Formats: sequence, structure tokens, C-alpha cells
Amino acid sequence: MNPLSTTQAVALPTLMELSHVSRVYGTGEAAVWALRDVSLVIRAGDFVSIVGPSGSGKSTMLGLLGCLDVPTEGTITVGDEEVTRLADAARTRVRGKSIGFVFQQFHLIPHLDALGNVETALLYRSLKPAERRERAMASLERVGLGRRADHRPVQLSGGEQQRVALARALVTEPKILLADEPTGALDTKNAANVMEILSGLQSTERAVVIVTHDTNIANSAARKVSMLDGGIVADEVLRR
Amino acid sequence: MSTFKDLVRVAFTGLLARKVRTLLLLLGPMIGVAAIIASVGLTDSAKGDLKQKVSKLGTNLIEAAASSSFGGQNPTLPTDAVERALTVTTVEKVSAVVELSNIVVTPYDEAREKFETVPIPVLGADDNLPNVLQVNLVSGRWINQFDEESDVRAAVIGVGLAREFDVLPGENRTIELNGIPYGVVGILNSVELEPGFDNAVFISFARAEIDFLSDDVEPNKMYVRCTEGTEAETSEALKTAVNLGGPQEITTDIKSEALELAAQSDRQLQMIVISMGLLAIIVGGLGIANVMSISVIQRSAEIGIRRALGHTRNIIAIQFLFEAIVVGVIGGILGVLLGMLAIFIGASIAGWVFVMASWLAPAGIILAITISILAGLYPARRAAALEPLETLRLG
Repeated sequence: MNPLSTTQAVALPTLMELSHVSRVYGTGEAAVWALRDVSLVIRAGDFVSIVGPSGSGKSTMLGLLGCLDVPTEGTITVGDEEVTRLADAARTRVRGKSIGFVFQQFHLIPHLDALGNVETALLYRSLKPAERRERAMASLERVGLGRRADHRPVQLSGGEQQRVALARALVTEPKILLADEPTGALDTKNAANVMEILSGLQSTERAVVIVTHDTNIANSAARKVSMLDGGIVADEVLRR
Repeated sequence: MSTFKDLVRVAFTGLLARKVRTLLLLLGPMIGVAAIIASVGLTDSAKGDLKQKVSKLGTNLIEAAASSSFGGQNPTLPTDAVERALTVTTVEKVSAVVELSNIVVTPYDEAREKFETVPIPVLGADDNLPNVLQVNLVSGRWINQFDEESDVRAAVIGVGLAREFDVLPGENRTIELNGIPYGVVGILNSVELEPGFDNAVFISFARAEIDFLSDDVEPNKMYVRCTEGTEAETSEALKTAVNLGGPQEITTDIKSEALELAAQSDRQLQMIVISMGLLAIIVGGLGIANVMSISVIQRSAEIGIRRALGHTRNIIAIQFLFEAIVVGVIGGILGVLLGMLAIFIGASIAGWVFVMASWLAPAGIILAITISILAGLYPARRAAALEPLETLRLG
């Protein structure tokens, strides 16, 4: 065995694990199984896309991966915490600590400037205002928007807004970056730019997860999880 | 602590971002508090000069006059009445006077005919009287120990009499009491609680005895200052203390009672206006609840993203409550200022004295904060109940 294959054999740590997870909306005869017995492991270094048509359950998947929702059955573990056993407040704290979000509609707070929006992710963490500011500024510079720190969302282009959202998601140094149709509201050029940043974020410490219906976007990831009718139909590695 | 600072900072940013809406929110508590403060202040100010007088003169002056249940003429107090009164522990200061009768007072002999028909009271007084009445002299001095002990005929006249006799302050003048010339050594200022003293002449006990009384001088009236708040008990105790072991009886009179009664504000009117102010502040509170509830819907995406970023439901609820509290604090302070301005303007126009009870300002601000907290509870709970997943997908 050569040294390289030895390193490959040592698996990078599991960041998140979904085990036999189902999510049912409604009860009795009107019950809708949005997800049925799904298991998924996300490891550090992953650059995964979750792809599927509407109604395939990928939005439900997004809610569960983001700890925004809890499954009806099965367990979800983030790091060494079993979030399915946690109360809302504790789950919220796990979310704030471990997961960064990027949305299709950016969801920036309109009355705050770019810096303020990034700082919002660092509120209520016992940080001194100066330190918070510094970290938010560093995060903005990382996405190339240091000069736009005092611009409000309306003064920024779509691509810039999504980069601010990225800076906001990254400022807490999350283990998992969860992007929901991150390029859905952008033109081709800006979409490519955001995808480039996203793929650059892949590291041995972090996983990047993109939820999309767009096959082109899905295929630019290193690993593709295809969904249909509430289940995973394929989990393939596209690139090493 | 840093969490608290974060909450305050976010509340202020949120309110400043929507200035017009915030201004509208402020109006409710502001107008309510202003109405209450102005109503209480103006009804108080209407009686303000009287109130001021009462507080200046003190409510603790008791007049103890000799009386006789046997219907005897010219009842008197015991000669040692002052000492007896001082045995009452709540008595602080005492001064005795004797009212002399049938003395014609004239500014000079030629005017005798004119002033014979005008009765001017003449009193023998001790050197403590201005001190007990808490009144000063317009000019000159009061009768002192020296006048008492020597043969000096010194008199102090009331400020009203001085005007009538054209005595200028500081001028050397004599007046005649039954033709006996007395030197005017001082002019006594107006005594609010004893208006009769304005036109009276005061001489020493010794002089009164020598010039006008055949017998030993016995006072027939005392002025007593007692410890504040013990007026009623002191009045009763005085009767016993002065009367003890002797035939003399006294009647007591708390001098400020009538004035205090007059100074009381019209409580009924005040209650009506306060009720209207309360109504205004409650409507203001409903306005806050309403506007903030709408704001929760408008800001649902913001709430969703905050929840996604790790802000707990409690943080979101407290955040909205803090916005309401900030509105309450600022609205309350502005309301107090506006109310004070209304009192000031109203009192100036009507010529009243500006009166504002010290409890009004804190009470107004606390009321505004209370109302805004109550108003903020419902929207805060709604905001906290929002499901982040739903609000985020809406966007």
C-alpha cells in the first residue's frame, strides 16, 4: 500500500447523519409522507448536491438538514449531538453553531447594511461589538465585498446580495454550509461566480450542501444525491 | 449583559429603520401621559398659590385663646401659660399676647378726632411672636428684652397701619396711644394666618401693664408651633396643660385648616381628566399592539432568517418586547415633557403658579412602559411562534 491510499482509507469525520428518517405531514388518512426512511451521511470535505424535481422531498430534506424541522421518525445527529432529542431552544443553538444558510431569495434584512447583516449572525454570542465588527468585515472581504460594507441590500446587485448572504453564513465558521437554490435568482454570470465561491469553500473541516432542482448546478458538485418521491434514488460520487 | 446590550442595539436599529412608523407608535403613550400630567398639574396649579402659601406658612400653627364657660368678662390665660404650654412635648415654640381694649391710636395729636372712630387693635406681646408666626419685619426691629426692662415706649406696627399712617420704612416716627407717644421701632410684615395683625400695634408686656392695665398683665391668647403632623393631638393636650389646676379654659384653633381646605384641588375634575388620559394611553397601547402585529407579518422573513442564524424563540420574543419598551420609555419621557409644557403654558396664561407633584413624572413614565409591555406581549408571542421554514420558503 502506498501512503496516499492510506490517507484515503482514513475517512474524514462525519458531520451529520440522518438515520432512517421519515417526515409525515398530517395524520390518519390525510397523512403525506414527504420523506420515507431516508439515511444520509455528510462528512467533512463533502461538496454535495441534493437534486430532484419539485415534490421529491428535497425541501423537507433542507428543513431537516438545517435543523429547522424535526423528523417524524428516525434520528439526526449533528457532530456528536442527537438533535432529534433536543428541545427547540437547544436545537436552535446547534443550528447557530454548526450550520450556515444561503437562500435563493438571499433573505437579507433590508434595513441593515451589508456589515449589519453579517453581524446579525454573531449577535447574542457574548462577543464585544468591536470583535463582532472585525469578524463580519473579514467575512465580507472573503467574498470580495469589503468595499460595500455600508451598502444596504437595495443598493447591491443580486450577485452581491448573495455574496453578502454567503459572508453571513460563513462568519460563524459553520461545519455545514447549506445552500438552497443559491443561484436560482441570479443571472448566469453571477450564478457562476457564486458557484465558484461555494466550491472554493470545500475544506477538510467543512461540508457544502447545495439543494437544487437544476441538474447543471447539481452536476458541478463532487457528490450528487438524487431524490424522487420522498426517497433517495441515487448517491453518486462525481469527482474526487 | 452583552445579550442585553445586543437586544437594546437591535431594538433601536429596528425602530430607527422605520422612523414614521416609530413616530406613530410613540404618539399613543406620549399623548396619554401628557394628558394625565397636564390634567393633574393644571388642576394643582389652579390652587398653586394657596398650596405654596400653606407649605410656606406651615400647617402647624395653633391659636389658643382664653375662654370662660362661666360667661365671665375678658377671660385670661394663666400668667405662666407659656411655660405650661411648653410642657406639652409636641410643642416647639410659644408666644403669648394680650389684647388691650379701648385704646385710641393716632399718628399725631391733631388727627385724634379722625382716628377715635377707627378702632385699631393694640397688643402686648412677648419677644418671640414673629419667630412663632414665621414672619419678618419690613423694617426696623421687634420689641426686645431691653424695651421690656427699661422705661422705653417702643411700638411695632403692622404693615397695613404703616401705610395708613404714611410711615416710611426706616423713618423715625411716633404714634400716640391714648395720647401717650410711642416710638415706632419696626414695621411687621403681613401675617397670612392672622390678617388682623396687619393693622395692629404691638408693645411690650411691661409697657402695657404700666400704661394701660391696672392689674398684673395676664395674656389672653397664645400662638403655638407644634411638631408637623401633631396639630390635633397638640390642640387637645394644650387644653389640659393650660387649664390644669386652674379655672381658666382655652379654645384652640388650627390656623391653616381653612387655608388648606381652600387649597385642595378639585379632585372630581382631576379624576375625569385622568380617566380621559388613561383612555388615551390604552388606545395608544392598542395602537402599539396593532401596528406591531402587522410588523411581525411584514418582518416574518427577517424573523425566519434570525431563527435560522441561531436566535432562539425567546430572543425573538424579547426582541419585539424590547422595541415596545423602547417606545414606552421614549413616549413616556416625551409625554412628561409635553405635559409639563402644557402646565407651564396653561399656568402662564391663567396667571397661576406652576405646580407639578414630584410623583407625576416617574408615574407617567412607568405607566407608559407598563402599557407598552402589555401591548408588546401579543406581537412578541406571535413573532416567536413563527416557523422559520415556512417564512423562509415564502420569500
